[in-house]
Amino acid sequence: MNIRSGTKWARAVAALACAAGLQAQDLKQFEKRVTEFTLANGLHFIVLERHEAPVVSFHTYVNAGSVDDPKGKSGIAHMFEHMAFKGTDLIGTTDAVAEKKALAAVETAYDAMEAEKNKGPRADKATLAKLDAALDAAIEKAGTYVVPNRYPQIIDENGGVGMNAGTGEDSTTYFYNFPANRVELWFYLESARFLHPVLREFYKERSVVREERRMRTESDPQGKLVELLSATAMIAHPYHVSPVGWASDIENLRTDDARQFFEKYYVPGNMTISVVGDVDPAKIKALAEAYFGRLAKKPVPGPIVSVEPPQEGERRAKIESPTQPIEFIAYHRPNQNDKDDPVFDVIAGLLSGGRTSLLYKDMVRDKRIALAAQADATFPGGKYPGLFLFVLVPAQGHTLEENEKELDAMLAKFVSEPIDEAALARVKTKTRAGLIRQLDSNEGLAQLLASYHMNYGNWRVLFTGLEDIDKVTAADVQRVAKQYFTAKNRTIASTYQPTEKADSKQGESK
Amino acid sequence: MRKLVLLAFLPLLAFGQGKLAPATTWNAIKFPKLRDVQIPKVEEATLPNGMKVYLLENHELPTVRGTALVRTGNLFDPKDKIGLATITGSTLRSGGTTDRPGDQLDEQLENIAASVESAIGESNGSVRFNTLKERTDEVLQVFHDVITKPGFRQDRIDLLKTQMRSGISRRNDDAHGISQREFTDIVYGRDNPYGWRMEYENIDNISRDDIVGFYKRYFFPANVILAVQGDFNSAEMKANLEKLFADWKVTQPPVPAFPKVNNTPKPGIYVATREDVNQTSFALGQFGGMLNDKDAPALEVMADILGGGFSSRLFQKVRTKLGYAYDVSANWGAGYDHQGLFEISGSTKSESTADALKAIDQEVLRIREQPVTPEELESARQKVENSFVFNFDTPSKTLGRLLTYRYFGYPDDFIFSYQKAVAGVTREDIQRVAQKYLDPAKFVIVATGNPKEFGKPLASLDRPVSDLDLTIPQPKAKKAAAPADAGSAARGKALLAKAAAAVGGTAKLAAVKDFTQSGTIQLDQAAGGLKVTQNEQWLAPSHFRQENVLPFGKVATYSDGKTGWSVTPQGSTALPPAQLNQIAFESFKIWFTLLASGENPDRTITEAGGKVEISDKAGHSLTLTFDAATGFPASLSYAAPGNPNGSVEEVYADWQDAGGVKLPRKVTMNQGGKHFADVVVTSAAVNTGLTVEQISKKP
Repeated sequence: MNIRSGTKWARAVAALACAAGLQAQDLKQFEKRVTEFTLANGLHFIVLERHEAPVVSFHTYVNAGSVDDPKGKSGIAHMFEHMAFKGTDLIGTTDAVAEKKALAAVETAYDAMEAEKNKGPRADKATLAKLDAALDAAIEKAGTYVVPNRYPQIIDENGGVGMNAGTGEDSTTYFYNFPANRVELWFYLESARFLHPVLREFYKERSVVREERRMRTESDPQGKLVELLSATAMIAHPYHVSPVGWASDIENLRTDDARQFFEKYYVPGNMTISVVGDVDPAKIKALAEAYFGRLAKKPVPGPIVSVEPPQEGERRAKIESPTQPIEFIAYHRPNQNDKDDPVFDVIAGLLSGGRTSLLYKDMVRDKRIALAAQADATFPGGKYPGLFLFVLVPAQGHTLEENEKELDAMLAKFVSEPIDEAALARVKTKTRAGLIRQLDSNEGLAQLLASYHMNYGNWRVLFTGLEDIDKVTAADVQRVAKQYFTAKNRTIASTYQPTEKADSKQGESK
Repeated sequence: MRKLVLLAFLPLLAFGQGKLAPATTWNAIKFPKLRDVQIPKVEEATLPNGMKVYLLENHELPTVRGTALVRTGNLFDPKDKIGLATITGSTLRSGGTTDRPGDQLDEQLENIAASVESAIGESNGSVRFNTLKERTDEVLQVFHDVITKPGFRQDRIDLLKTQMRSGISRRNDDAHGISQREFTDIVYGRDNPYGWRMEYENIDNISRDDIVGFYKRYFFPANVILAVQGDFNSAEMKANLEKLFADWKVTQPPVPAFPKVNNTPKPGIYVATREDVNQTSFALGQFGGMLNDKDAPALEVMADILGGGFSSRLFQKVRTKLGYAYDVSANWGAGYDHQGLFEISGSTKSESTADALKAIDQEVLRIREQPVTPEELESARQKVENSFVFNFDTPSKTLGRLLTYRYFGYPDDFIFSYQKAVAGVTREDIQRVAQKYLDPAKFVIVATGNPKEFGKPLASLDRPVSDLDLTIPQPKAKKAAAPADAGSAARGKALLAKAAAAVGGTAKLAAVKDFTQSGTIQLDQAAGGLKVTQNEQWLAPSHFRQENVLPFGKVATYSDGKTGWSVTPQGSTALPPAQLNQIAFESFKIWFTLLASGENPDRTITEAGGKVEISDKAGHSLTLTFDAATGFPASLSYAAPGNPNGSVEEVYADWQDAGGVKLPRKVTMNQGGKHFADVVVTSAAVNTGLTVEQISKKP
């Protein structure tokens, strides 16, 4: 037995050595192909040459997300992200001047309606109905100047693929790919949406966003549970609210809220752009200066000051749902810049990375009580202290209680028994190989470079971070697990089925 | 002076030469010509065993990956065993190989950050590997073993079955998933492999023999195309693959064509009720066509204008104008070898369900009744033309496309002729195909949501409305949700106990400490026609010795369960793991302990249809059948370690007493369903006082 595991260990070490060689080599190769520059207004660019095919990926990373939503305006970061596809003064309108007036009229009508509505019980119903109708008419009128979806259509027609955007707790990102001969068009379009955004069709888009919330959160038990988990585990810090925002907040968002958010957070010093593909860096720099140099330099907003206070006792929250049960268990952890950040990554790897991981072997494979048992080291964001998350999905005929108990037992053992050195080496090897496999996609690289620059201050951390992972010892793993995986420090959110079978069509219930 | 002047002018000069002025409007920008894409060259070869190989060198990263595409699919599932292909595809890898259990492969591969995975989908099976370059040989060996000698161990089959049952129990939890599934099933029809659904009972019906049988039918060299790409030298890789797969020579008749799609769905609105949601998820449409239909390009452009993106009609109307939906899209899904689906899907708040469906209906009618505008056509055309380069932006796309085309018998240059056809589509073509193929009156419409909150009743849409029953059928005669099927284990144990009683009783069996047997094995002509004289000895708990007299001499093999040796005329060698495992299996299947497996906590017993499967933690497993009248074991089958032809079946006859225990004197051996050899036992004895020294003595 000893000889066998010795061989395995030797194999793992050999693999590790090889991967380590690759890493140093890769960073050097990368540095040769990377050009970085910062415009006078503070906007940072990272350009990576990859000449394999005449295509280019662009990624704009804005260091602002839903944590920056003002109180009562949850969802505004996300709402602005939608508005960023609505065009400019030159794109998406038949008559910019008339439209500007019409849009102002919409806001005036909205103000009037809101003023009456705000009287609450003293509001006059007939007046309110009239003001509502006036608002609808103003919206309708402004709509007549719109060339709908012209901005994304230009991207489509020019061969843009993979166009999308995303709003998270920590950041907002915009990305797509163009054929290499359309580079300047990208510079035009991307700079224009941040230079001259026109927030047209705001109130129709608000309904779309409201539908998005219905889809992702309200009509999906997992979505509901995620929202509840964050709201229960985080009290003081804005990780409390999910990026889509509360339904009632969304329904009352105003154009001006979006504009204020944009003006405060979409400042050059708070953004990083990466360009990866068949490009000439000198040309990119010239284009960047010409197009993005026009953005005015503004003060960079500071981080969120609210700090989540230490949790004083276990919290539990539940959702009644006719669906099969699921459970999230979250432990508070420090942010991504903490020295223990790599230790959490290694712990997640040991517990749930692949078929050799502890949770899979114990709960899925051997005891067969779970369909899935997974760990996520960083939830919902990493910029601020957040959560280490476990997701439990019981197998048919097994309960959440059973799964929860088994996970507890596993974590207790994890803390008390020695960590398998071979497993630790395996996690490190897989982390390295995982990075190598990410290096052949323009799109993926663009995302990584911009996000590492913003989150860790330097894209090179993508490579040097592996050294931090390497330094993690079995003792670190146990120290951190022991410190953070305590009942007092956790929040458990789960679904349960109604006791009465409300509807036989719901499928089976146990 | 001059110098100063120059200095003063320098910034200006730099400005004049380097500074770029931003374009004032986007369409003032001039696009340079896009440089030509490099289409990588794919090497092709056919190995001597008939396997087709495609190789694509790509030295950008130090990795190698490959896919073996196998002509099979869940379209070949038997009606009462829906899920058989899926289980076969998954346990092909997870169930380990004949010499090594799945856990060992998991560990070996993850230690080197490599993967080998297998799956069978609707109309193909695949085994894939991915490795860092320096581990290529090691990973290819595992890849080869998984393809050519899978172990299909019972424990992993049971694990997968548990997971699939859990999957069934959760299949109504996702409203969007319900709409997609029901729409597909209704259009294709629930009575055929394109539209039928796996239930608990199907899973219960599937045995290891079925899995092995399915594997054997479809996994043979002539039925596999293998594509490998990455950091290697093609000539070397080809030679390696040839050597590696030289031992895989099984043949099977060619795999028949996939079944034809043949259904006329009943049009109308089908409502799936989920009272816990506040949004309706919908999927509607009809059959699409095949990708090589002559009208396919026009239909694709039509669907793109209707619902293909931000600028499509459905998106503009239903999302942007009406604010009814976050997502709404249409897709002319053409299949490579059978009809695909034309599908419009999205979601809308419960109250606007009828209105959103109505708005969609109007857009479908409009594209039939009026020609699209020249701008719409031009926009769609440009989109396809300008994004064409993204079909070639990585070498792997070229390889993947070639593999798909070859698999379905499409010409290699299909993408170019298709693109040419798209570029030539006219407004008249679009209207003609919309009228010819799109028939909104015959649409199948599935809406999953809470009908209590639908603003207007769906009946207002002038179509028949019916409710979908989402109840998940429980298997017949199922004992509540008993974990691990306790009933099956109990039935299996009862059959084993009956057999134990028939051969002499559990006490007599337990008393057997050693066993010696001699006989002859006559192999069929097809198997070489050899006659072998064999002497076997067993000493509890796990000493096993076998001596075979072959034409070229005597071969003696012995193992104590952990290590062992083999002595041939060439000399003595230590047993390699594969052979050790083979001998451990002989100890596992020795009658005296096998028939007492019901009392052995380390062994798992399951029963289905009178067959009893016995497995242990080492990954050994076999299946016993019994003579219903006498209770005697009738046959025993197992996946022979190292045998590429799959399972071996031993059929027993002529049970005679040997020291108080009855043992079979005649054994017929079948392999891969064909007669293989006859065994005649000439003498058998138990408890002769055999010692460890005797059994382990080298000749």
